[in-house]
Amino acid sequence: MARGARGEQGSARLAGALLGPATVLVLLVLVAPLALLFRYSLDKFDPSQLIIPAVTAENYISFVGSRFYLDILLRTIEVAAVSTALCVVFGAPVAYRLARTTSRYKSAMVLALMLPLFMGATARTVGWMILLSHGGVVNLTLRTLAGHSRFDLMYTPTAVIIGILSFNLPYMVLMLQAVFERIDISLEEAASGLGATPLRAFARVVGPLALPGLSIATILCFILAMNAYATPVLLGGPRFHMMAPQVYVEFASNNNWPLAASVAFVLMATTIALAVLANRLIPDRYRAP
Amino acid sequence: MDAARGGEVRAWRSAVPDRGSRLVGAGFWLLFAGGLVLIFLPLVLTVYLSFFDEKLIIFPPRAYTTQWYSEVIPHFASPLLTTLEVAAIAVPGSLLLGVPAGLALVRSDFRGKGAIATLLLAPLTVPLIAVGLAVYLFAVSVEEVTGAPLAGSFYVLVAGHLLVTTPWVVRLVVASLVGYDRSAEEAAASLGARPLTVFRRVTLPAMRQGLIAALLFSFIATFGELEMTLFLISPGMTTLPIALLGYLKYHIDPLIAATTTLQMVLIGSILAFIDRFVIRLGQLVR
Repeated sequence: MARGARGEQGSARLAGALLGPATVLVLLVLVAPLALLFRYSLDKFDPSQLIIPAVTAENYISFVGSRFYLDILLRTIEVAAVSTALCVVFGAPVAYRLARTTSRYKSAMVLALMLPLFMGATARTVGWMILLSHGGVVNLTLRTLAGHSRFDLMYTPTAVIIGILSFNLPYMVLMLQAVFERIDISLEEAASGLGATPLRAFARVVGPLALPGLSIATILCFILAMNAYATPVLLGGPRFHMMAPQVYVEFASNNNWPLAASVAFVLMATTIALAVLANRLIPDRYRAP
Repeated sequence: MDAARGGEVRAWRSAVPDRGSRLVGAGFWLLFAGGLVLIFLPLVLTVYLSFFDEKLIIFPPRAYTTQWYSEVIPHFASPLLTTLEVAAIAVPGSLLLGVPAGLALVRSDFRGKGAIATLLLAPLTVPLIAVGLAVYLFAVSVEEVTGAPLAGSFYVLVAGHLLVTTPWVVRLVVASLVGYDRSAEEAAASLGARPLTVFRRVTLPAMRQGLIAALLFSFIATFGELEMTLFLISPGMTTLPIALLGYLKYHIDPLIAATTTLQMVLIGSILAFIDRFVIRLGQLVR
């Protein structure tokens, strides 16, 4: 009995020693800095004196009260929502085919989808810049075919939506593929054996079973899109504003650290709130545990 | 009898596709193709453009060349070196921090374990743009108090990258140990092996795959990190993704396409290696 207790104590000490360094790292490089960031967001700012220590919600109030910043937030939500919706539309068919394929090249296909995921947003955007830039592929094709000489997608919200959609699509496909794979194919066979068309079998059998996984994948893609940085900077151009690039602009160009901190917190809070809201909107029986 | 005939009729109707279901089928394949184009077309074009013998993007090019590939490393030598220096510390460092933590999360049971696991994986979910700003401001504040020159220093850059890589290691070590049968360890212990010997001779070899995957994924994570690093660089100390971003703001040319292609080849071979010899990548998504 006594030995058992001592053994337990010893193993708790061992677990503490094993977990300690990593926990200290996260506390020191994530938790403490974020707490300080919040503190900064309550300071005042003056262009000549820079930061003036204070405890005020001024930055947040002026954010919500300013047409300029509110528009950036709304634009960010809009771009994230549209690109995420399109991500589901284009991602589901690819994921479904991938999940149901019996090809021996399936693992190569998964690999091909993982490659863009790990390439980083900057590198992935190069291809879209080639396609969309003035004199790029799309521009040139349209000029040859339709004679339009002034059709530039570069530096438009559409370009940013396409870029984010393309960036998040492999995530969506891989997550949904795992979801579809867990759904037994014999259920679909049973549905079609009973006379259901493929669409009906999908809508009535596969869809409801996939919904919990689909909702998680959708929310994750939305979060990624809300925080996009490189894509809006490169495809949206200098006059297109989204939240994550704005954090950097306030910090680096305007030197307004308190406002940069507030923008970061507004971004995080909005993202979390919308994710929670989206999860609430899903009927209980379809919600992931 | 009637019911059976009804079933037959319906089965027959579904065998011959009507216009509606053909339309649905066509729509399905259209979206399928669209999805693949959206993912892969930019990558294919990047590779294609990297062989253009032009200074700008001009279709069609005068000729094709491989000369851009020889200019990649000279042009981006300094940021590439910084990126590799950071990786040289962050990757082994994250293994030293993350492997013991992952082991403890799987093997021990204590109150608050769930909270610790959430905390250790949190860097994967917090927006890195906020983390970058926070870490920089924290470094400035500590510098103000202690006088240690932290802001814009290499140490803070590495600490930030450790934060990004360690959760990958924790996650992969946990994944490689969950469902692992402990009877081999128990057998070794009952035959008189000391705990450390059991760990070295039984547990560690069993974790080998997870460790290699952790090493490579943490390398990929630090190699491509952009948003947090933006705040932690200083003049003369830039990483590759940031140098690429800065270059791309003003140019889009075959040199950047060649750089991206090389990056694609590097990361593609790492992933193919993991998939072939270490762990089926498909299993990681689950």
